[in-house]
Amino acid sequence: MSNQTVRSPIKAMVWKIEVEVGQPVAEYDPLLILESMKTEIPVEAPAVGVVREILVKEGDPVEEDQPLFVVGPAA
Amino acid sequence: MSWEKEVSELNRLKAMTAAMGGEEALARRKKSGRLNVRERIDRLVDDGTFREVGALTGRPEFDDAGVVKKLSPGNFIFGRAKIDGRPVAVAGDDYSVVGSAGGATVPGKFGMCEKMANELRIPLVRLLESTGGNSRSLEQMGRTYIPQMEGWETVIANMTTIPVVSLGLGPVAGIGAAKMVFSHYAVMVRNQSHMFMAGPPLVARLGEVVTKEELGGADLHARAGGVDEVVDNEEEAFAAARRFLSYLPASVHELPPRAEAEDDPERRDPWLVQAVPKERRRVYDMRRVIKSVFDAGSFTEMTRRYGASVITGLARLDGWPVAVMASDPYQYGGAWTNESNQKIERFVDLANTFHLPVVNLVDVPGFLIGRDAEMAGTIRSGARALSAVFQAKVPWCTVMIRKVFGVAGASHADHSRYHYRFSWPSGDWGSIPVEGGIESAYKDEIASAADPEAMVRQIESRLNEIRSPLRTAMAFDCEDIIDPRDTRPLLCEFANNASRLRMPGTVATGMRP
Repeated sequence: MSNQTVRSPIKAMVWKIEVEVGQPVAEYDPLLILESMKTEIPVEAPAVGVVREILVKEGDPVEEDQPLFVVGPAA
Repeated sequence: MSWEKEVSELNRLKAMTAAMGGEEALARRKKSGRLNVRERIDRLVDDGTFREVGALTGRPEFDDAGVVKKLSPGNFIFGRAKIDGRPVAVAGDDYSVVGSAGGATVPGKFGMCEKMANELRIPLVRLLESTGGNSRSLEQMGRTYIPQMEGWETVIANMTTIPVVSLGLGPVAGIGAAKMVFSHYAVMVRNQSHMFMAGPPLVARLGEVVTKEELGGADLHARAGGVDEVVDNEEEAFAAARRFLSYLPASVHELPPRAEAEDDPERRDPWLVQAVPKERRRVYDMRRVIKSVFDAGSFTEMTRRYGASVITGLARLDGWPVAVMASDPYQYGGAWTNESNQKIERFVDLANTFHLPVVNLVDVPGFLIGRDAEMAGTIRSGARALSAVFQAKVPWCTVMIRKVFGVAGASHADHSRYHYRFSWPSGDWGSIPVEGGIESAYKDEIASAADPEAMVRQIESRLNEIRSPLRTAMAFDCEDIIDPRDTRPLLCEFANNASRLRMPGTVATGMRP
């Protein structure tokens, strides 16, 4: 598995980031929570791996398809 | 005396058209992993049921004695066949014929196929693979021509008469792209099919350099709403077509067929009582709710990636086919976006046209708000979605799963009809949500308070006390609050009641693609 970019499914605000760079994650682990229309929308890890990069911070507005994370293979 | 000689000549000529674009062209196709048009038809329909219409059509070349020495088939074949024992019309582009665009087109054949399906009142499946017009044909004609949509009066009529399925199995350009979307269900094969109004070379002349995948790949069109389903190979495309047709009547003059009821209509899934989080801001898996309440394995989602805040698809309840609409809280909290609105309009029209009762599982905080949403024209497309809901005359059942707010929420059903409607205890409704409306509605009270924030919290807690859906039901503003576990038994009862109310015939509101 190579690095995967996790993108925002919708236009929203970044409400809460749930992981740190270097943190191992399992598939479906929430990486961050977006807020849209008063709903908390989790963005999940696409596969087991390690968080390589976090490209946004809490409070950022994000567009649909905007890259949020890079998740790389587990070491 | 007999006609044996003529019959054998007939068979010789048919063999020539059956050879399609010739051995070399067919071998090239095979190498590239694509089926030829006759293989496609064979794999789509029930074995041995295809009866071709116009099997002799082609351009003949004669020898000196006036005998046909070569018959080059046209690039479009069609006929009647059966799928799951039910009659259908099948049309296929033959891309192996040189000059699939322009030159090899036999005038009138395409329109006659559309007309056959229309008059026989049978579904039509189009197997599409063609490029649009090209400049070379101009030279052959020696003149230019004014384009017109030959046969399209029937193509348009078919949208309100018979189920039409289009399968994109290769390049689908220009008029091919139009055939693709003039359908109730359009499927594209990933990496193999590309759809565009004009291909990369023409687009490059406008200064946009793109690959065909970037310009018209299957995933792009799934996202843009150009197609309803993307599959990985041709076999999956045929299976998708057969599955879609299984829910529908042969035409609007019949009713959707009931399937064998294999799932217990009284089944109560214990998970449903905990499906919706108590914290209102949290999301949950609406597709799991759908899976749980409809007949096991019966849900076929359509147009999943377009207007994704609303899930649409076909399913069964106690064997009866129904149309399912449901909110997806993961997408804008279930808010209706401009795209969702267009998806709803087309989907409700589909249900109404083919007499499918509608089940609507609602969790709608309203239309999507904000400048982008305003700029997208969300309110007008929303008005069209609302119109479709109110103009639908099919039986309609609403289950309010959670939020019902604003105009979009109010559009969950035509309230002037008998409200066949239930709410889960998680039901939460109003013109605007409590959390958002306090600041403006209690402006003076908050401003004059010693501690404005405490005042907001105090008002909020007052309002939350009266927010219970049970209070609404006591005033009969909501007909019934139910145990979520009773949803399936109630929906199966609805489907059985609704089955008697479905009326064959052409509906008043014509369907547009």
